[in-house]
Amino acid sequence: MAMVVDCQHDLSFPYWTSTLRRFDPDSPFFSSGNIERELLAKQVALDLTEDERNQLEKMVDKDARGVFCPIVGCGARLISLEDFEDHYNARHTASCSVCSRVYPTSRLLSIHVSEVHDSFFQAKVARGYAMYECLVEGCGLKFKSYKGRQQHLVDKHKFPTSFEFFKKAHPSKKQRQKNHRKQAMHKKDEEASSKMEVENETMDGLVSAVSKLSTSDSSPSTVSFGRRHTRGLPFVPRSVQHEKRADSTPAGAKR
Amino acid sequence: MADDSPASHRRDPIKSSVGNVAAQRRRQNAVTVGKERRESLVRAKRLCRVGPSADGEVPVEGNDMITDEEEFHLEAQTSSAVEDLKSAVAYQGKGAMQKRVNALRELRRLLSKSEFPPVEAALKAGAIPLLVQCLSFGSQDEQLLEAAWCLTNIAAGKPEETKALLPALPLLIAHLGEKSSLPVAEQCAWALGNVAGEGEELRNVLLSQGALPPLARMMLPNKGSTVRTAAWALSNLIKGPDPKAATELIRVDGVLDAILRHLRKSDEELATEVAWVVVYLSALSNFATGVLVKSDALHLLVERLATSNSLQLLIPVLRSLGNLVAGDSHTTSTILVPGHAITDGVIKVLVKCLKSEHRVLKKEASWVLSNIAAGSVEHKQLIYSSEAVPLLLHLLSTAPFDIRKEVAYVLGNLCVAPTGGDGMPNLIQEHLVSLVQRGCLSGFIDLVRSADVEAARLGLQFMELVLRGMPSGEGPKLVEREDGIDAMERYQFHENEDLRNMANGLVDKYFGESYGVDE
Repeated sequence: MAMVVDCQHDLSFPYWTSTLRRFDPDSPFFSSGNIERELLAKQVALDLTEDERNQLEKMVDKDARGVFCPIVGCGARLISLEDFEDHYNARHTASCSVCSRVYPTSRLLSIHVSEVHDSFFQAKVARGYAMYECLVEGCGLKFKSYKGRQQHLVDKHKFPTSFEFFKKAHPSKKQRQKNHRKQAMHKKDEEASSKMEVENETMDGLVSAVSKLSTSDSSPSTVSFGRRHTRGLPFVPRSVQHEKRADSTPAGAKR
Repeated sequence: MADDSPASHRRDPIKSSVGNVAAQRRRQNAVTVGKERRESLVRAKRLCRVGPSADGEVPVEGNDMITDEEEFHLEAQTSSAVEDLKSAVAYQGKGAMQKRVNALRELRRLLSKSEFPPVEAALKAGAIPLLVQCLSFGSQDEQLLEAAWCLTNIAAGKPEETKALLPALPLLIAHLGEKSSLPVAEQCAWALGNVAGEGEELRNVLLSQGALPPLARMMLPNKGSTVRTAAWALSNLIKGPDPKAATELIRVDGVLDAILRHLRKSDEELATEVAWVVVYLSALSNFATGVLVKSDALHLLVERLATSNSLQLLIPVLRSLGNLVAGDSHTTSTILVPGHAITDGVIKVLVKCLKSEHRVLKKEASWVLSNIAAGSVEHKQLIYSSEAVPLLLHLLSTAPFDIRKEVAYVLGNLCVAPTGGDGMPNLIQEHLVSLVQRGCLSGFIDLVRSADVEAARLGLQFMELVLRGMPSGEGPKLVEREDGIDAMERYQFHENEDLRNMANGLVDKYFGESYGVDE
């Protein structure tokens, strides 16, 4: 069942609909109000701290007891929902020192680095070794092509067909122009910039290599994997570089 | 080490070991007392420390931790009190009644002290059969009262202790009758309220033994502590999850009238307990909801919300209103019609709750608003132009998570037209644009980042509205500016497939290859 369904037009997105929401009296939704009732009746409501209240709520409402990190393969227990953001920033933002792309696990980051920034990797691929490993931890399978691995992810691990592990990112026009100018500036001033240029070229090479491997001729999906920190030197898409747009518009600051 | 003078040495080792054991037990006690205390705090049962006849006794403050020694003594005293009761009950001679009352009173006092009365000791000593005997027909009021009081407190604790009251139930119910003196009936109602508060099983037993009608009748007088206790006991009795009891209650002659009367005129304490009855009536029984909506109830609930500042009263009144709105679409479509005075009144009191400092009020008021906002376009316009929106926007960025989620429902509902049935519901662009311009988007994107599936879904759905509905294709830029793309990209390795598909779908559609290039 390796059919690729074209889901571009049929989004089947669950759109927002406004409907009445009713709750049973023993629903967790009402538990904090119920607790408050009993505390007030016993006249101890004022004696309790926020912490103690949270503890009471956890006792009554099973849902409040354990939140687990929803990132695949993590399963870390979170103290509270508020805790998730800190946990995510601490554990799921492994960033690539070369191109600043960000990955949710260090394993995926290292796979990215091998596949994109390591010419040795490409050399082995060229010689027919199965180098593209499955992204799902514990699977262990390796593939000779990026596309082959991709298909495996969709077929065996139910990844969305629009998923792309490596994708050219698309910054907004203003951001691209800003990057462009930054690059031009750096070329004159810093040495690091020339390294960046080289990297870019290497990356360009890799990108072309990867896209040659790809069997899809239509524009690849736009899901960009590897959110980029805006602080790092960003990757400039090949298409834009070639066009070399010269019109300068004042770049807005990106948050 | 063996000693040649056992006498002098015997005491010391024992003393220190007892000291250690006692200290250990006290430490363990602290943990268990912590857990026990927490459980007792949230129970729907209530200890009775002062009798209905208010015989001038001062209730003992039992909040400080009782020491091992005191506890030991309490248990011993309880056992001997039960023994005394046993012989008093057996005694047939002169002054038997007084003997019984004295024994009962002593037991009752022991069961009314301290935060955790020595119920286990009482049960072990065989208190229940004796108390049942003391409830027999024809007994003096004082005897009935003390016996029922003992049973009340035995039933106020752990589940197995409450269940021990089973043999006493028929008699307790019988003494609810109109021939009983009020204090006796009230104390029996209290005991039954504790039993009902234990769980569904015991509730069903009580219902099958006919507890509901007499309790309902006790709610009919205009005032008195008996009315209040009966209302509280009823709220425990009908809380389901089977809606049968709630439907049965509203059908009892005079009950609806009494409920309305109390909501209208009674003092806040009594109105509070009656409001909880309304909460369960409206949450469980469609029939009751229909009856209440047709009556004056909504108006009375709004009045109370407007005039009271007692959190204890506001919670059940607000929730009753919420249940009536949520339970029957007629409420919003026929009674709370925009333009009617009552509708304005409802919005006003909901705004008052949003301004409150109490978390429960803010959350549940938002919930009610979200349901009104799920009505017609006129309803949405009414809320949109009210004082509620600035408050909601503020709450969306500052309030705790559970409130923010409800607020999200309100704001989102304001932006979509009523559901036709299939496919994409139409946007109310004017509302969407205004709310987004006033900065609500970042609040929704925060929800997308949360670990709560429902909240993330809401956030993504709202983002879709923005991406689709903002004029001049502004949507994607706005979303990107608020780091919305980052938030969506998190879902690529999220374990929830639906959310993954939603997020990926949006990124595919709106941040595609052509994004930003063709300008």
